[in-house]
Amino acid sequence: MGISNIFDIASSGVTAQRLAIEVTGENIANVNTAGYSRQQVVMANGPVTSSNGFPLGSGVQIQTVRRSYDGMLQQQIVTGNSSYQQNLAKQSALEQIQPSFNELASDGLGSAVDKFFGAWQDLSTNPQGTAERQSLLSATQNLTDTFHQINSSLTSVASSADSDLTGITSDVTTSAKNLAQVNLQILASNAVGGSPNELLDQRDLLMQQIAEKVGITSTLQSDGTATVTLAGGQQLVNGTKYATLYTSPNAAVPPVNNILLTGLGNPPPANVPGSDTNVSATVGGAGNSLGQLGGTLQVRDSIVPGYLSKVNEMASKLVSAVNTQQASGYGIDGPPATTGNNFFAPAGVTAATIALDPALTAAKIAAGLPTASDPAPTSSGNNGNALKIADIQNSTLAFSTGSANFDGFYNSLVSGVGSDTQSAQNATAQGAAFLKQLGSLKASNSGVSLDEELTNLTKYQQAFQGSAKVLTTATQMIDIILGMVS
Amino acid sequence: MRITPGMTADNAVYNLQQGRAGLDALQEQISSGTNVTKPSDDPLTTRQLLTLQNEIDAGKQASSNITKGTLLLNVANTALGGMADIMTQVKSAAATLLSGSSDPTAIASTTSNLTQLKAQLIDLGNTQIGNQFVFAGFKNSKPFDAAGNFTGTNDSLGVEIAPGSQVGSTISGGSLLRGGTPPVAVGTGATAGGSPVDILGSIDALITAISSSNSSGVSDGIKNMATAADQITAAQTDVAGRLTRLTNAQTMITNNQNTLESAYGDKQNVDYAKAGVELSQQTTAFNASLSATAKITQLSLLDYLK
Repeated sequence: MGISNIFDIASSGVTAQRLAIEVTGENIANVNTAGYSRQQVVMANGPVTSSNGFPLGSGVQIQTVRRSYDGMLQQQIVTGNSSYQQNLAKQSALEQIQPSFNELASDGLGSAVDKFFGAWQDLSTNPQGTAERQSLLSATQNLTDTFHQINSSLTSVASSADSDLTGITSDVTTSAKNLAQVNLQILASNAVGGSPNELLDQRDLLMQQIAEKVGITSTLQSDGTATVTLAGGQQLVNGTKYATLYTSPNAAVPPVNNILLTGLGNPPPANVPGSDTNVSATVGGAGNSLGQLGGTLQVRDSIVPGYLSKVNEMASKLVSAVNTQQASGYGIDGPPATTGNNFFAPAGVTAATIALDPALTAAKIAAGLPTASDPAPTSSGNNGNALKIADIQNSTLAFSTGSANFDGFYNSLVSGVGSDTQSAQNATAQGAAFLKQLGSLKASNSGVSLDEELTNLTKYQQAFQGSAKVLTTATQMIDIILGMVS
Repeated sequence: MRITPGMTADNAVYNLQQGRAGLDALQEQISSGTNVTKPSDDPLTTRQLLTLQNEIDAGKQASSNITKGTLLLNVANTALGGMADIMTQVKSAAATLLSGSSDPTAIASTTSNLTQLKAQLIDLGNTQIGNQFVFAGFKNSKPFDAAGNFTGTNDSLGVEIAPGSQVGSTISGGSLLRGGTPPVAVGTGATAGGSPVDILGSIDALITAISSSNSSGVSDGIKNMATAADQITAAQTDVAGRLTRLTNAQTMITNNQNTLESAYGDKQNVDYAKAGVELSQQTTAFNASLSATAKITQLSLLDYLK
């Protein structure tokens, strides 16, 4: 073994330490990069030779630059994000809906219903009073306005959810395109034998971003590329090919967005709404429980329609109960006083359409109910029917949720909105805590610690200095030997 | 477990957020003065609060109805008081002629006096408050014409004092002054002084008897007048009874409102002492967490590496 071997060993040390410092530098540079996994240099001693009769290694080799990574944890983070984003979408919609039902802070539908029946009570104490009749008409106007306002605020939450879908699908497509690009780079990197650690980080981050938006199943291939499948089983990304997820209005009036998926390709085939796969029913996962898209679909297709149907039910019951009683009483118009008039327009049985009957005048409000001593048409001071209509407020009606009076039904609805909002908030808070925990675990495993890197830097720097010193020593040894010769 | 500066930063942000959220919730409670500001704060309490609020509102409405009913009954009561006074005068005017005086001056003055008193009874029977006639039943016009014919109805305007419970706030003029609708026959001989009595018809009969110096007619008339006075008194008692019922109902509603409002307040009003203590605890915790965050995030090995 000659002096030249010392050179070899020292230079392998210098090279290895320099690479280790490079990796440390890379780690420090990426301390705040999202999705970055710290890299570690794995060193091993060189092949052992025994040319001098003693087995001795031939310097140091870099075996690999390893990425600190836990696939299982990553999968949990992906799933956790998917359901967290779903709850977040629901929570933000419910927080928009709640103020319409916040009877505690402001007068809403419940108070409007009370005022409406209160006006009937007032009318019953002075059935011929013009002021009482006029104030009943105003209270009714207030009631129908409140119904319309609730209807429009619920509808606008649904329609803004519908338009959100376009942005979400376009984000998904962008991420899918980027993932296909990363897959391509991974293949290229494999071809030249490199270990594409940063590309793998990007791949994982992109899959996580897609999962936040939409429920997916992902498979990692042996070549390092990712295949992404939507909840309905359609492929979104396969190798270097990806599909476009997009929205297209359907034929309903007013139109709502369908979610469509093109075939795979790079670039994928152009959008053809007529023949592309309609994934609206499956893309959110079972019960639209996955991803921001699932949450948004829930808001549009079940949460808002659910509340709206209850408000509509209330409007319909109110219109039919009041109209039936109004029709059996007599107004103070005429003479003769008329009967059989409508109070509400009979066609308006939803929160959107409830309205006073166009033919109703203050005089046609039927306060009078014939009695033995006051037969039809009744006198203008007769309050029998006004009392009966005022009593509708306390009468138990058969609602879809069971028997209740108007106040009871509406109060249940308010408390239902409250508990839905509360449970979405709780689910989101729990999801956030869970993700934070997972994030800590991931950071503990993959995160860059500056303290650690700085220590490593010092360590590698000193090792570099050491190897360099060996080189200097070997040089001096050569010089000495050459000096002996001369 | 490896701890990285990123983890410390994430933890700090998360915990500061939690602290801020807690402070924010307390601040909202204290500044609004209410425990539950949104249904999602406490859905169950929201349901209870709304039910309490509905009952309080129903009490207010019933209370307002009672006020109107009381007004109508008080007006009727005043009119009945006037009627009772008139009946006393009718009785004393007729009594002076009980012996069957034939003095034309006395007869003339008494009949003229009685005619005036009858007209006053009719006026009182037409008593109105606003556009409501308290003795007209459901009719919205003067219930008695000048001759004393009743054109109202025999109904009483029911006022709701509690859900499903009504008190009549008007008196039927037909039953009060005419003994019924149509008027009952004027009592003579054996039927004189029978109940119910057609008061206005009996006064007419009395005037006729006095004018014709019919002493048995005058005596029948005086018996009728005695019953008539009782009939007015009975109506006064009826009205007084209804007023008592309204007053009792009002008292009950007031008590109920107090109970309901204190229950509402118990649930909804912030206990400032408790909230204040919590706020101070929360502030201390938040300060500590801010200070700890500031100190920990400054620590770096870089400060010691040369």
